[in-house]
Amino acid sequence: MTAVATHSGAGAAADPAAAAPMPRGRRSTELLMLVFAVGVVLAAYASAGLGLNGKLPAGLVEYGAAFAVLVFVAHIAVRRLAPWADPLMLPLAALLNGLGIVMIYRLQEAGRGGNPGNVITTMNTSTTLYQVVYSAAGIAAFIAVLVVIKEPRILQRYTYTLGALGLVLLAIPAVLPDSLSVVNGAKVWIRIGGFSIQPGEFAKLALAIFFAGYLVAKRDVLALAGRRVLGIDLPRARDLGPVLIAWGASLLILIFETDIGTSALFFGLFVAMIYIATQRTSWLLIGVGLFAAGTYAASKLSSHVGARFTAWLHPLTHANVFCTAAQVHCVSSYQLAQGLYGMGFGGILGTGLGHGQPYVTPLAQSDFIITAFGEELGLTGLMAILLIFGLLVQRGLRAAIGVRDPFSKLLAGGLAFVLALQVFVIVGGVTGLIPLTGVTTPFMSQGGSSLLASWAMIGLLMRISDTARRPAPQSIQDEGMTQIVRAR
Amino acid sequence: MNRAMLRLSLACLVMFALLLINVTYVQAFKATSLASGPGNVRIFDEQFQYKRGSIVVGATAGGTTGGTTIAESRLGKGGSTYHRYYPFGPVYAPVTGYDSIYGPSVGGTAGIEEAENKELAGTDPRLAVHNLIDLVTGKPRLGATVYLTISPKAQQAAYNALKAQGRPAAAVAIDPKTGAILAMASFPTFNPNRYATLSGRRLNKIDLAYRKDSQQPLLNRATQATFPPGSSFKVVTGSAAFGTGKVASPQSTVPAPTNLQLPGTTHVLINDDNEACGDGHPQLIYAFTISCNTAFGDLGMKLGGSVLRAYANKFGFNNPNLTVPLPVTASVFPRVSNPDFTAFSAIGQFDDEVTPLQEAMLSATIANDGTLMTPYLVQQVQAPDLSVVQSARPSVLSRAVSSQVASEMKTMMISVTQNPAGTAYATANQGIAGVEIAGKTGTAQNGVNNTNLDDAVFTCFAPASNPAIAVGVIVKGGGFGAAAAAPIAVQIIRAYLGIS
Repeated sequence: MTAVATHSGAGAAADPAAAAPMPRGRRSTELLMLVFAVGVVLAAYASAGLGLNGKLPAGLVEYGAAFAVLVFVAHIAVRRLAPWADPLMLPLAALLNGLGIVMIYRLQEAGRGGNPGNVITTMNTSTTLYQVVYSAAGIAAFIAVLVVIKEPRILQRYTYTLGALGLVLLAIPAVLPDSLSVVNGAKVWIRIGGFSIQPGEFAKLALAIFFAGYLVAKRDVLALAGRRVLGIDLPRARDLGPVLIAWGASLLILIFETDIGTSALFFGLFVAMIYIATQRTSWLLIGVGLFAAGTYAASKLSSHVGARFTAWLHPLTHANVFCTAAQVHCVSSYQLAQGLYGMGFGGILGTGLGHGQPYVTPLAQSDFIITAFGEELGLTGLMAILLIFGLLVQRGLRAAIGVRDPFSKLLAGGLAFVLALQVFVIVGGVTGLIPLTGVTTPFMSQGGSSLLASWAMIGLLMRISDTARRPAPQSIQDEGMTQIVRAR
Repeated sequence: MNRAMLRLSLACLVMFALLLINVTYVQAFKATSLASGPGNVRIFDEQFQYKRGSIVVGATAGGTTGGTTIAESRLGKGGSTYHRYYPFGPVYAPVTGYDSIYGPSVGGTAGIEEAENKELAGTDPRLAVHNLIDLVTGKPRLGATVYLTISPKAQQAAYNALKAQGRPAAAVAIDPKTGAILAMASFPTFNPNRYATLSGRRLNKIDLAYRKDSQQPLLNRATQATFPPGSSFKVVTGSAAFGTGKVASPQSTVPAPTNLQLPGTTHVLINDDNEACGDGHPQLIYAFTISCNTAFGDLGMKLGGSVLRAYANKFGFNNPNLTVPLPVTASVFPRVSNPDFTAFSAIGQFDDEVTPLQEAMLSATIANDGTLMTPYLVQQVQAPDLSVVQSARPSVLSRAVSSQVASEMKTMMISVTQNPAGTAYATANQGIAGVEIAGKTGTAQNGVNNTNLDDAVFTCFAPASNPAIAVGVIVKGGGFGAAAAAPIAVQIIRAYLGIS
């Protein structure tokens, strides 16, 4: 293995004792940070209860204990299963997840229009409980990933299986009749019995693995073969195939599921990973060009996409804040406008949890949860949350840079980037930076699919980070050129 | 691959930087303009969680001490939400309008609550610094206090007088020297306290009941309703006659036949009850004093429609942009060219329309030596930290006539109340009023074929020697202006001048 060779070549042979300072797993740091994260979440929960009813929430002890137990179980699992993993990922993810639960609790308590007896649409009286249960399931998925995947490279074996699975998951809602696939106007669901699953969230993981496996195999041919035109290395036509397939798939999602957000995520993921693999700017240009052309065509062809653009450009004026059923061509920007009003209302320091009116904005518990935080925690709190996301992305990228094996490197880079892109698409969408497209806010939005997939992704990233930071095997004895390597 | 990874990290950094810049822009810099965005229910609701500013009348002139609060926010029973309270109920309703959970009243019911909403709610950009300080120090946000020019004595007298006579009516009083509005009353009116409920269902019911009321209590007749001015328009026609030199002085004689045949038609213009006007060639002051239609109809035809319209505009007619800051419906003097219609327009009939505010402005112009001051209601706006953010500065709306013409018109208007033959002698002479009033009555026919009861109109100012108050009163279906409208004006003047 390269790892061994590198190690022995780096002077370890000369002084084994000096080479042996064991790199620290920093699990105690993780524990301390987790205590801090749980403290922040509990304080937020108490503050929301005080703000709403003037007294501590009834379930403070139960919910608090449940949340603390959950994250400490995750911590113990990490100690056992991935002792070298990054110490910040778990606390950051737990903090985001906990804050999301607090906001959902706060919205459920306030009810629609601030009337506690009147439950917000798509919520019910046990939504908070469900969210806690989903968080438990998410952490279970996180642990399961650490248990099942001992070594990230084993995933490379399932490259095409996972690729096919990802495409199928993506395509299912498009194929299913509306009655089984549409929730709140978005055709991105599978509805079975009382449950609804967003397969796209899981497809994201499967396709990231597929892209990593495929690109590791094909990176040389993609990078080197081809002609150079105007200073740009163009790939060969036959190598373009997979790119075109990815592009076509994301366009199909766009057309059949009218979901620009998810389609942008997949295409962005693919372009980013092909760029990491080949380091060829041409792929970046081709990818961005194809996506821009596709989106432009879609905005012309689909009134749905065009309306999103109008609402984005004129949230308060040209697009009407209110549209009645009679106004056929009226573009409603009610949701966007209310979200922006909420943020403006919160201002710099926010109203404080429980003191604002985030329930005025439709879907404040899912797509618009960021504006709810902006309203109640203010610019200050929102910046903190964005920085938590940013830090999580950074830790993912750090793992990607640290890991040696190219497959793991690609996978970690792709996952970290798609997390950043998803945050950019949804936060940028609800704050009016870019046209609004419905993707979930990772770890925060109401709903199980997103939480499960996000936690599984953290599991993968921590497994890769564990591989990256794990100290190289130590030689047992120093016998010149011959080494016995400790078998693992 | 690490180099590409570093570039990708840079892309992630850019994405997060863009998000942070954008949220900073929205929450720190755009927050104020978002606060007044269309359909922003948070700001409306918020008024019930924060103390909205008070509306105060009768503070010392130019200052902000003393005074009577006519609208304030009070803590409700639970101690968490504020509700609006109007201590005088309907008396000031046309001035204040109302504030409800759906926001302040708008349209024909719009009052200071709507016109000064940003100041009262504390969202006005000029209050932004105070808000920021309050935000940092954790104090609850407060609205600014709005001080009005209204005189509580005049307003109460106007409301009492209107209520006592019982017909739909309105009265406006102005300080002619500044344009400050001293009273603005309308009857029937509504009780703004009823809109203070926090229950949407109850509010809808109350609002619907008011809206369905055929008496139109929500309409602010003082500024929003127009009526034919009748003979009170002769103030304008007389001013035009002097201003153009068509008539040299009040003592000049003018033709005033019992029947004025209108050229090109079979119509005949007559005087009230078909009476003669003196010997048919009276002095203009006599024709004005007993309000001969034929004299002024003839004058109007000689002046022509466009000259009359120009003078009417100088007195404030046909101005759709006037706000005090409540919106004011434009008073109308139409474009007329036919001599017959011109004759009718010259005596305030045909399509002439005035608001009670315009009636007060007619007298205010004459009282202020021919200069019409812009009417205004807001004396001062004071931030919660007691600093003044806005202070009224009287401004000239129009220099309508020369002081010479104004003095001649004043002589004629004094004659209306002081000459025993004058139309308003019986109800507004010095013995009754306790002060020398100068005025002009109007009795306007209206309805199809003039079948409705006449509207009673009176415009006047007092004291005639040194005018302090100009009043316009219109009583719908009141009959003679002198009988129905003048006593109301007299009561307002007596209350304002403190004549017991």
